Amino acid sequence: MASTSVHIESVTKQFGDFTAVNKVDISIAKGEFFTLLGSSGCGKTTLLRIVAGFMQQSSGRILFGDKPIDNVPAHKRNTGMVFQNYAIFPHLTVVDNIAYGLRARGLPSAQVDERVRKMLAMMRLEHLGHRRPRELSGGQQQRVVLARAIVIEPDVLLMDEPLSNLDTEMRIHLRSEIRTLQRQIGVTTIYVTHDQEEALMMSDRVAVMSAGHVEQIGSPADIFYRPRTRFVASFIGESNFMPAEAVADGVYAVPGGGRFNVPAARAAELGRKAEIAFRSHDITVGAPVAGGWTATVVDAQFYGATTRLVLDLGDGKTVQAASTGHAGSVPPPVGTRVGLALPPDAFWIFPEKR
Amino acid sequence: MQAMQAWVAHRIGFWPIITLLVFLTLIALLLMPVVNIIGMSLSSKDPNSSVIANYVEFFSRRFYYQTLINSVQVSVAATFFAVLFGVPAAYFATRYEIFGRSFVRAAVVLTFVSPPFIGSYSWVVLFGRSGIVTQTLADIGINLPSIYGAPGIVLVFTLQFFPFVFLMVSSGLKSIDQSVEDAARNLGSSELRTFFTVLLPLLIPSISAGALLVFVAAFTDIGTPIIIGERFRVLPVLVFGEFVNEFGGRPILASTLAVLLLTVTTSALLLQRWYAARHAYGTSAIRPLLVMEQTPLKRILASVYVLLLVGLALLPVINIVISSFLKANGPLLIAEFTMENYERVWRTIGTPLSNTLYYTTVATAMCAVVGTAVGYIIVRRPGRLGGWLDGVVMFSYAVPGIVLAVGLVVTYNEPPLILTGTSAILILAFFIRRLPFSVRSSVSMLQQLSRDTEDASINLGAGPGRTFLRITVPLLSMAILSGVLLTWSNTIRELSATLILQSGNTVTLSIEIFNEVVNGNFGIASALGTVLILLTFLPLVILFAFLGKKEEALV
Ligand SMILES: Nc1ncnc2c1ncn2[C@@H]1O[C@H](COP(=O)(O)OP(=O)(O)OP(=O)(O)O)[C@@H](O)[C@H]1O
Ligand SMILES: [Mg+2]
Repeated sequence: MASTSVHIESVTKQFGDFTAVNKVDISIAKGEFFTLLGSSGCGKTTLLRIVAGFMQQSSGRILFGDKPIDNVPAHKRNTGMVFQNYAIFPHLTVVDNIAYGLRARGLPSAQVDERVRKMLAMMRLEHLGHRRPRELSGGQQQRVVLARAIVIEPDVLLMDEPLSNLDTEMRIHLRSEIRTLQRQIGVTTIYVTHDQEEALMMSDRVAVMSAGHVEQIGSPADIFYRPRTRFVASFIGESNFMPAEAVADGVYAVPGGGRFNVPAARAAELGRKAEIAFRSHDITVGAPVAGGWTATVVDAQFYGATTRLVLDLGDGKTVQAASTGHAGSVPPPVGTRVGLALPPDAFWIFPEKR
Repeated sequence: MQAMQAWVAHRIGFWPIITLLVFLTLIALLLMPVVNIIGMSLSSKDPNSSVIANYVEFFSRRFYYQTLINSVQVSVAATFFAVLFGVPAAYFATRYEIFGRSFVRAAVVLTFVSPPFIGSYSWVVLFGRSGIVTQTLADIGINLPSIYGAPGIVLVFTLQFFPFVFLMVSSGLKSIDQSVEDAARNLGSSELRTFFTVLLPLLIPSISAGALLVFVAAFTDIGTPIIIGERFRVLPVLVFGEFVNEFGGRPILASTLAVLLLTVTTSALLLQRWYAARHAYGTSAIRPLLVMEQTPLKRILASVYVLLLVGLALLPVINIVISSFLKANGPLLIAEFTMENYERVWRTIGTPLSNTLYYTTVATAMCAVVGTAVGYIIVRRPGRLGGWLDGVVMFSYAVPGIVLAVGLVVTYNEPPLILTGTSAILILAFFIRRLPFSVRSSVSMLQQLSRDTEDASINLGAGPGRTFLRITVPLLSMAILSGVLLTWSNTIRELSATLILQSGNTVTLSIEIFNEVVNGNFGIASALGTVLILLTFLPLVILFAFLGKKEEALV
């Protein structure tokens, strides 16, 4: 397959005064599954539509491989796009939907038939070939539009929240299916989602976006374990934030008496006041240790597989600790004084929040 | 260089050229005629008179200005009664399990599509001085009030046009969510109180839209006042009079009158838009209002009310159909079955029928093509020109047929382009009259069609032209077809503009009927009227029965 790398170079998109996409730089390797992750309105769709050619960027450029494509009209870009609301052609059968792009390219009909047949088999849609879209379930429709986008052997596959209209079970099922399929055919893929679980489990790399700009690009493990900005730390996973103050060289104190060691260079960069963050499930709750980090249990919330303790650090500052329980485990009763501990590298420190 | 090429291809495409053509058409057929009548109304044969001399003359001579007062009076009264009777009827028909529901639907549509001027003559035949009902009742000593003049006009207009309100309110009710009413009832509000405090306020946009349609239709109607008005003179009839004047028309006066008509209708439109916008809450129903369980008494009372109203409105239509099979002696009908009327009609109907079918078909086809293209430009390619287009189309709603007709005559009655008296001027008038409706329907269907579907086609490698033909048009085909049927039904019975624009060779069915009515040949008029009603009603039957449209599509 003629898959290609994609280079988005300093792309900006303005709508009047409003900047929807702000100087975005992304390089995507050939065959990579790349995800744009961010909350609603952060510009994911806008960026994707610029890549597809439905919109022109205000500045910056886009290359497929080493070829700039900014002047290539949308229908000549050879990108296969999957839309959030399917955009299935309601008046065409499943077969005609899938064949649409091949026919638009003027392929001989024998070849069209052959490729459509293979595609139907691959997507397990054989028995549905002559159905009309309205006779299909949401998940089936989504498979059809995926097939329709893949069958043209696109240089780049673009997907805009393709699973967000489906129920949870279907979503979980289809996301593994899409991932497997993408690996199998090796097409460069840009995937848009606001669901972090989806982003983490499907992607080779993820770009976390906020208000039109990229906050961080990295592997799923990177952005989960090593968030570089406060936004990423708060957006991904369940994090706690505490004000921190330098009490000695490279040592910061947080409410409740916790002490955190920070490399000297980083401490010098941050100054006296900073903010420390950690994941709820990284913290361990035990018996209080004299001179250690302590808190009071305010609430214990049972979620089945996990139990969350809400812990008061004093100064009105609370944090959450999540722990996996087992049959017979009893959370400490409300009001108990407990000791807290974190593995040495399971926290991040950011500049003070203003 | 490549960038340059792409830029050029981007700019001078298929759509910009179409936009330009549409624009020129609208300028030639709508804006120029309107500008010309305004210009003419400000001109004078006497070079020394002031520019507003014609208006000064109008407002200083009672013979003239009284017609404006009369027109406003009957139109306001008809609008008031249409709302008063139409709103409850729509509420009962939508919310109550009334008896004869399908009859009510069919009757409303039939009333709506029957040519109004035949309706008025029907009333004369029934309730006029020597009318059947009047005579019968007089024999037993009951004297009915006179049907002639203002009361008759208001009666006919109310019954003829209340379906506007009925249909608008019915569709308005369907956009209110059941939970809104449930909440009011749950908070202890009675049905009546809920209606006045919750439903009625939410219905204001629909009611006012219906009221506007009634007002404009009544204000610009020529046929009914001529037939039933006697000495009660209204403005549109005065315009008409100035055109068929035996001593040669007075285009300056006619233009002045037309501008006055246009001013009133435009103001009414703007007033309604403003008022409805202030009361628009953008409701949309996930679960529309349901039919309520009712006590049998309420159900019967509501049914009686609705059936009486639509029955009364349908009376003229029934009368026409029956009369067409009765022996006629001038205006008097004899209770004896005959096919004589149809035999006579058969011999003379050729020209008017073929003219009617020809004009209607061509105008409808033009509306379908241009309307779809304009709708596409407005929704999908909103540039500066698209915005203008939207504005012009909006404005054309407010231009009554009679004003357009006067404008076309004053614009195209001298070289380089003489169209007066030709078939072309009638076709063009029909086309422009219905264009805003075609545009509106194609706009609303395009808005429902997600843009992603077209983008998906582009993305898969189909160019803009291929995408429009393979995706957009097929997806809209059903909607375009229903638009065609509606345009047909509305165009085929047009009278006001036709009266002004037709000449001997371009006579249409509605003109023929009108002439027969004016000459008192009710038998022939009824037979012709029955044919016209059939031609109007058949496409609607297709529309409702096979295309699954609801009557609300009519307004
Ligand atoms: N055509 C447009 N004109 C003006 N503003 C626009 C336009 N399209 C998008 N925007 C704005 O740009 C911003 C980014 O929009 P975009 O659709 O890219 O968001 P998104 O990240 O895809 O959000 P979501 O997750 O809700 O789909 C939004 O604030 C939106 O209002
Ligand atoms: Mg989006």
